[in-house]
Amino acid sequence: MTLSLFDQFLSPVVCWIPLVAIAIILPWILFPSPTTRWLNNRSLTSQNWFLSQTTSQIFSPINPPGHKWALLLSSLLIFLATMNTAGLLPYTFTPTSQLSINMGLAGALWMGVVILGMRTQPTHSLGHLLPEGAPALLTPILVIIETISLFIRPIALGVRLTANLTAGHLLIQLTSTATLAMLTIMPVTAIFTGILLFLLALLEAAVALIQAYVFVLLLSLYLQENV
Amino acid sequence: MLSRLQAISVKVTDPFVSLSLVQASRSLQTSSQRLAPVPPLPDHGGKVRHGLIPEELFEFLYPKTGVTGPYMLGTGLIVYLLSKELYVINHETIYAICIGTIIVYGVKKYGATVAAFIDSINEEKVAKAQAAKDSHISFLTEAIENEKKEQWRVEGRGMLFDAKRNNVAMLLETNYRERQHMVTNEVKRRLDYQIALQHLNRRLQQEHMINWVEKNVISSITPQQEKESIAKCIADLKVLAKTTQAKAAA
Repeated sequence: MTLSLFDQFLSPVVCWIPLVAIAIILPWILFPSPTTRWLNNRSLTSQNWFLSQTTSQIFSPINPPGHKWALLLSSLLIFLATMNTAGLLPYTFTPTSQLSINMGLAGALWMGVVILGMRTQPTHSLGHLLPEGAPALLTPILVIIETISLFIRPIALGVRLTANLTAGHLLIQLTSTATLAMLTIMPVTAIFTGILLFLLALLEAAVALIQAYVFVLLLSLYLQENV
Repeated sequence: MLSRLQAISVKVTDPFVSLSLVQASRSLQTSSQRLAPVPPLPDHGGKVRHGLIPEELFEFLYPKTGVTGPYMLGTGLIVYLLSKELYVINHETIYAICIGTIIVYGVKKYGATVAAFIDSINEEKVAKAQAAKDSHISFLTEAIENEKKEQWRVEGRGMLFDAKRNNVAMLLETNYRERQHMVTNEVKRRLDYQIALQHLNRRLQQEHMINWVEKNVISSITPQQEKESIAKCIADLKVLAKTTQAKAAA
């Protein structure tokens, strides 16, 4: 079981059976559906509380027609947060560190939002290409810049998540490799790198949750513009 | 939840297989098949030692290996894996130690607070329902007391009616007696009048008769008779004078 630096980013396959499907679907068990009980156990209560808090916070600035997206965005949040935090455990594969999954989510959702905006209120959507209060001279340039920024959005969304997670995991790998290598030769330096590893792990835990939240928040912002 | 999975998967296969699947798995389902009343949840989850290993393992091994059995098993397993290099120490091990420390520290430090917070969410729900129930009960108790008071008042109403009835009866009685009194007075007045009338009549008759008798007598007295009577009176007077003189001299 000697691992190279990039083994953790390989999609896991055992006897040509891709395990990535199991890796993505298995965390579903951690979130049971609402029960018929009035008072639930602690895990269910905490999940319900967390979900209701975040959903109300994300959807309060959005117009009522946008609230149809509540289920999609809240399940997306749970999915990303679970994938990211599960990837913090050793020897796990993080599906959201793969560009394929993130671009699939970002591209599809962004395009859905934009098409929704263009279909229901095309003038209002196109109006976002020119920010308010801009001087009249800059209009042509601004429209071009805004269009480019509009089309960059899915790439930015996907790559942001991928880059954050991949970079974090890679840093952890490198630091832990350095610690292990120096443990026998220079123990004191190994202790310093060990402390660095602790801090990195804490950062990664925070980044995991924050990145999931940022993904969903940006999508809700795009939705707010277009609905 | 897995039964839902099974139910969904059952839809896609043919009826014979699906039915047999449902019947076959029915023997594996140990909970009751009714939806209500919902059986109560246990108050605490299964007991766990060191946060990971269920207590049942320790109890299972206790008869044969005593208290240290499971720990020996764990240590031996780890040593076996390490010595035979079934588990190779690599950089992930260092990271595993790191993240393990972080997780254990986090749970030990914040576990109780988070649990208390989550319990407080449930407690608030129960408290709200309890408050609603208590307020309703107090409202109903108050209503019962008010009703009892009203019933007591109604009892008093009978006394009130009796008093009023007595009052009215007294008034009627008084009125009746007054009228009776008035009637008696009037009748007496009329009768007195009749009596006075009769008295007057009699007196008039008497006076008239006396006058008539006197008039007749006076008219019947002739002058001869008058002289004789006067002479007799004088003779009587003389006799009387003589007797009194004699009495006086004696």
